[in-house]
Amino acid sequence: MKMCSKDFSTRLRANYNKSIEIYEGRLISKLLELFLAYEEDSNVKLVIMKGNGRAFCSGGDVAAVVHDINRGNWKIGAKFFWEEYILNYVMATYSKPQVSILNGIVMGGGAGASVHGRFRIATENSVFAMPETALGLFPDVGASYCLSRLPGFFGEYVGLTGARLDGAEMLACGLATHFVPSARLSSLEAALHKLDSSDPAIISAVIDEYSLQPYLKDKSTYHRLDTINRCFSRRTIEEILSALEREAVKSADDWISSTIQSLQKASPTSLKISLRSIREGRVQGVGQCLIREYRMVCHVVRGEVSKDFVEGCRAILLDKDKNPKWEPSRLDQLNDSMIDRYFSRVDDEEWEDLKFPARSSYTASALAKL
Amino acid sequence: MGSPSPADQVSRRAQVLAGHLRGLQTSTEPSLSPSPCLQYSPPELASPPPDFNLSDMRKLMDGHNLQDRDWLFGLMIQSKLFNPRVAGGRVFVSPDYSQSMEQQREMTMKRIHYLLDCGVFQEWLTGRGPEVEMRKFALHEVIGMYDHSLAVKLGVHYFLWGGAIQFFGTKRHHDKWLRDTENYVIKGCFAMTELGHGSNVRGIETVTTYDSKTGEFVINSPCESAQKYWIGGAANHATHTIVFSQLNINGKSEGVHAFIAQIRDTDGNICPNVRVADCGHKIGLNGVDNGRIWFDNVRIPRENLLNSVADVSPDGQYLSAIKDPDQRFAAFLAPLTSGRVTIASSAVYSSKMSLAIAIRYSLTRRAFSLTPNQPEVLLLDYPSHQRRLLPLLAKTYAMSFAANYLKMIYVKRTPESNKTIHVVSSAFKAILTWHNMRTLQECREACGGQGLKTENRIGHMKGEYDVQSTFEGDNNVLMQQVSKALLAEYIAVQKRNRPFKGLGLEHLNKSCPDVPSQLTSSTLRSSQFQTDIFCLRERDLLIRFAAEISQLQAQGLSREYALLQSYQLAEDLGRAFSDRAILQTFLDAEAAVSSGPLKVNIGNFLL
Repeated sequence: MKMCSKDFSTRLRANYNKSIEIYEGRLISKLLELFLAYEEDSNVKLVIMKGNGRAFCSGGDVAAVVHDINRGNWKIGAKFFWEEYILNYVMATYSKPQVSILNGIVMGGGAGASVHGRFRIATENSVFAMPETALGLFPDVGASYCLSRLPGFFGEYVGLTGARLDGAEMLACGLATHFVPSARLSSLEAALHKLDSSDPAIISAVIDEYSLQPYLKDKSTYHRLDTINRCFSRRTIEEILSALEREAVKSADDWISSTIQSLQKASPTSLKISLRSIREGRVQGVGQCLIREYRMVCHVVRGEVSKDFVEGCRAILLDKDKNPKWEPSRLDQLNDSMIDRYFSRVDDEEWEDLKFPARSSYTASALAKL
Repeated sequence: MGSPSPADQVSRRAQVLAGHLRGLQTSTEPSLSPSPCLQYSPPELASPPPDFNLSDMRKLMDGHNLQDRDWLFGLMIQSKLFNPRVAGGRVFVSPDYSQSMEQQREMTMKRIHYLLDCGVFQEWLTGRGPEVEMRKFALHEVIGMYDHSLAVKLGVHYFLWGGAIQFFGTKRHHDKWLRDTENYVIKGCFAMTELGHGSNVRGIETVTTYDSKTGEFVINSPCESAQKYWIGGAANHATHTIVFSQLNINGKSEGVHAFIAQIRDTDGNICPNVRVADCGHKIGLNGVDNGRIWFDNVRIPRENLLNSVADVSPDGQYLSAIKDPDQRFAAFLAPLTSGRVTIASSAVYSSKMSLAIAIRYSLTRRAFSLTPNQPEVLLLDYPSHQRRLLPLLAKTYAMSFAANYLKMIYVKRTPESNKTIHVVSSAFKAILTWHNMRTLQECREACGGQGLKTENRIGHMKGEYDVQSTFEGDNNVLMQQVSKALLAEYIAVQKRNRPFKGLGLEHLNKSCPDVPSQLTSSTLRSSQFQTDIFCLRERDLLIRFAAEISQLQAQGLSREYALLQSYQLAEDLGRAFSDRAILQTFLDAEAAVSSGPLKVNIGNFLL
């Protein structure tokens, strides 16, 4: 399994100045191994994650998963997601601070590798998105936990439309904890390397010294929270669309029409399961969220209700014609029992619910997420 | 060594201030942070994870409309109106009960308007059918979990005022009032109880007469005991009310009827000839503005009589399809059952919340070591503590299934099933609300000093939920009614020589169940045995109750006096009936679960 090997390399710096560069291979397994090892290693005080080049990470290698599905091997795809979600859980409950430097594209699986950590540093180059609904998937990697906890119903907006957020917006809504101009990143890293502490207050103070308060652009979607809350708080996808259409009548605004367009281009199945996932996640701990997402993703890769995931990856990633033929093609073709299917156990002898490794201890902040 | 020079002092002060402004020093000194309590271990850490899936258990317990519930939880959690606070990294939402009575009332109305704007109340009155009603129940339950005042205020407007329009009114009332009620264009309340009459509705003293010259009814409160009292919504906000009153036509009293009267105009001014006063501060539910109402010959149009059961013609003739006044009254009040259903259900959720808090506390709190130098023992590790809480938990599970069963039979009601629903809803309302108060008290004690903090909810809920044993029927009176209904059924069966049918009494058609003389542990655990002993108890009490009544009557007492004397058997019978019915719903729910860890765990509760 490759994890976007072309534009992402992980450098985990331990406090003993050893850096491990992983470009390909079983990246997630390796990351998990390292994270668990570093937790036990008393020499390791904090973990820094950063990307290389344009991106922090633009997502998991879903094209490879689709490849396996097409060869009848949904279980291999499921295993990829199993490991990824276990890694997300370990990051969410990690007893040492993780600092992710999001200097560039942070999308999909890349978001999963950073949002669960204690510190997320955005820059003027950050571009965040959860674009899964356009691919026939759904915002996973614990996004149902994180997005649901953004202010108001901004989480529904981000998760359903795949909207892109810049660094200032990430800081404003809480996806990022700090904003540091990219020019200061190397000094920040040097300062963090000199630290011999796991104390989040101290680490935060260090990052603060290099941070600044960015201004939201005039046209930022974050200025539209009132409208977003009014529309994305509705009970169903259909009602969200009607609410947006009502807003469009009131004011001829580009943002509203492009938001409606994003929803109309997304897979109807993805929209419905994503909305339900975020709403359920709002009242659940991160572990329960990941267990639920694992059930959902298994049903997605099995393609029993809809094969939109394969079609979405074909249209967007492989053939790149950007014209996916969703099936079911309309929201009203989806009934409750079809949606319920995604949230139920998988009917296969060998299948089991996601199981987390025993954790030897939990910090207060980790416990708060359970 | 001399004292520092003024210049040094200034420079030192400047340094200290600069240090404050710059924030923490980036040194390796540890900052001042709270150390976790050494004796504290949260339950998530201490116990192994459950062997059943939490979502499956939730689905079983909540039973219906899970997505709607999650949506509503989300609406409340994500809005500042619901008073979110961050504690220990988590967000908690709870009303601020330290606010004044007026502030709490105002916040309650604000929250209602927000939920209204979000579309929560869509179809609550204009929709029809079991699905709509189940969704209404689900959303109302979630609201009750946040704040009982909010649930009660909404209950008065939608279930009492709105329900009266729906069930006592006819098409013209539906067309005129339902949509405006649903959208809160008008605010309704329900004036039945008077200062002098609560349980005995038929004895109320408000009098309404008809003026055929003007085609108006005239409503009047003839004396102080006739004033309407405890009318939720009346003190501050309500514009309209259902008025229950004796109807006198042509000098004859036709009994209690329901009318619509306006009490406030759209600017909030009280209407002429209506007097309103505040019931004042209460031990709980201060988000509800309860009021007192006097009617000084208030005139209302003839159309305002809710005429589903009886009517008055324009020239003043009283018309009713039901000739017998007792039957007419029964048909009249039948629709009020929905109130008892929602109360029973909210009592269960209150018990669930208090048990969750108390049990979680007992899995973290430690007291006394059993051996020297060992950590103190967790409260729930003491058998005595388990004995206090776990049976209440098991009963709450059972009552949760009973409440869901009650909702099901209510939404699927037919004219034939109405009587059963009336009896079962009365019984369940009484038992579940009594259980809730008992559970709240035990949980409060089980939390020790922490149980006294309003923030910890349990203690405060005692004041909030206490009224449940009184409103919508005093529990003791309800149980008497249940026993009367069972007696009537028993006598009818004897007289007409037909089998028992309905009310779950069919077991009386079979012979008395055998109780084995050797009681082994596996016998005690079998559901057949458990069903048998509950049925046996019900059978025995019913027979003895009937026998005592008949004996007292044979001695010359009137039926009413005989019932009065036999109150103890009546009470025990009422409980026996309720317990047997609740057990049955629990067994049925367990049987419906496919095998697996969930079934095993539910089965354990039955024991």
